[in-house]
Amino acid sequence: MNLDTMYFIVIDDSKLDCFIAEKVIQNTGRSESVRSFAGASEALEYMKALPQDRKTVILVDIQMPLMNGFEFLDAFKNNIPEEKQSNFVINLLSSSINESDQNRAKAYPFVNQFLNKPLSKGALENMLSAMA
Amino acid sequence: MEKQEKIKVLYIDDEPHNLVGLKATFRMDYNILTANSADEGRALLEKHPDIKVILCDQRMPGKTGVQFFEEITHVFPHPVRMLLTGYTDIESVVNAINRGHVYRYITKPWTEADIRSAIEEGYKYYVTSTMLALRNEELQKAYDELDKFAYSITHDMRGPIVSSLGAIEIVQNSNDLNEVKEVAGMMEKSLQSMDALIQNMHEYYTIKRGELTIVDIRFDELIDDFKEVFSVTAKMGNIDFEINLQQEGVFRSDELTLKIIVTNLLSNAFKYQRSNAVSKFVKLDVNATPERATVIVRDNGIGIEEAYVNDIFSMFFRATSQNTGSGFGLYNVKDALRKLNGNIQVHSKPGEGTEFRVEIPGK
Repeated sequence: MNLDTMYFIVIDDSKLDCFIAEKVIQNTGRSESVRSFAGASEALEYMKALPQDRKTVILVDIQMPLMNGFEFLDAFKNNIPEEKQSNFVINLLSSSINESDQNRAKAYPFVNQFLNKPLSKGALENMLSAMA
Repeated sequence: MEKQEKIKVLYIDDEPHNLVGLKATFRMDYNILTANSADEGRALLEKHPDIKVILCDQRMPGKTGVQFFEEITHVFPHPVRMLLTGYTDIESVVNAINRGHVYRYITKPWTEADIRSAIEEGYKYYVTSTMLALRNEELQKAYDELDKFAYSITHDMRGPIVSSLGAIEIVQNSNDLNEVKEVAGMMEKSLQSMDALIQNMHEYYTIKRGELTIVDIRFDELIDDFKEVFSVTAKMGNIDFEINLQQEGVFRSDELTLKIIVTNLLSNAFKYQRSNAVSKFVKLDVNATPERATVIVRDNGIGIEEAYVNDIFSMFFRATSQNTGSGFGLYNVKDALRKLNGNIQVHSKPGEGTEFRVEIPGK
């Protein structure tokens, strides 16, 4: 099992959900750093400026004002240079129980997993070990 | 059925004396427009979208009546079509019905009674079919709204619950009292937003389904209520709440609907403040006469980006990630104003503040 630490970004308009995700991430012991963003466009700006070869795990909520999760995925595809896209492991993290959301997520081949809220340590660890 | 206005009828015939004859016979009863050719008829249809019945001669040079009807099927689907003809061969009848979607077939020479009953029947058909189309459209709208509603409600109601469950899990594994308190504070906000959502839903339903109860509005009493409701928020947020009331005479309206409007505007004004601003304020101005009430809610909060101003009244739209709005409040305000025949204007500058100006006519 690969126990390298990684960089994490959480994008969620709910402060509480960001806090929970941060805690759960830290509890896995796999976090180099966690950054939270209340808005997807701010996160995207930050991601653009990141160093070329930094592996970063993204957890993004679906229902957010201004730019929702799917709009974020579109913006990611169109605005992040292709050679940089593979640095990001993008996961949706939502309380949505709508099949339409899960099906819609499948249409994005670069989406790694659809995680359900509340985020649990087990689910996150499974996702991380499947990655390696 | 509305009968005040004369039914507008278009009559197309290549023989001028036919046009004049029919127009003269019915000029007291119907508003008859006449055209010499199919093309002229089409031009009149474009100019008069309220034409309800079309009478058209079959035998015309250039285009036949059936060809004309066939041509306008998709462009002008609503007017009821009737074909006038001296020939009664079965093939032309079949064509008229199948291709021209003709409602009635009238043989020449016509009698006054023929035409009159055809127009009356045709008009009734027009009214029922357009009403049906309108109802269908409304129904479709209601269904679309329900879909959106169901989707957002499951998400917005489930959100705070799963957040709280996640928070409980963290608290259970934490020995840090400060952290526990911090999480409890966030859980409180999260549950409050769910409570607000449920209240908004109740308001939504009240506005959509409730009947208006028109009473004399005592703005001084209403304002006392607002003071009480918002005094804690004002104090906690260090926000100055200033109220001006001018009421002359009796203003009559529906109190509950009025309350929903003002409460939502005030609650937004208090909610979307700039946390680092020095002299935060919310101002409520009410000016009421028997004819109308003008309510102005002003704040020096975060303001609304210009690009979003037109969307703020849409259901579930939120123009900021700051704070936990349900995306429901202003939708309800707009809906409530629609019910009271009122209107609302917004002036806002990002970083400076927002002013909502509401006008409601007295009943």
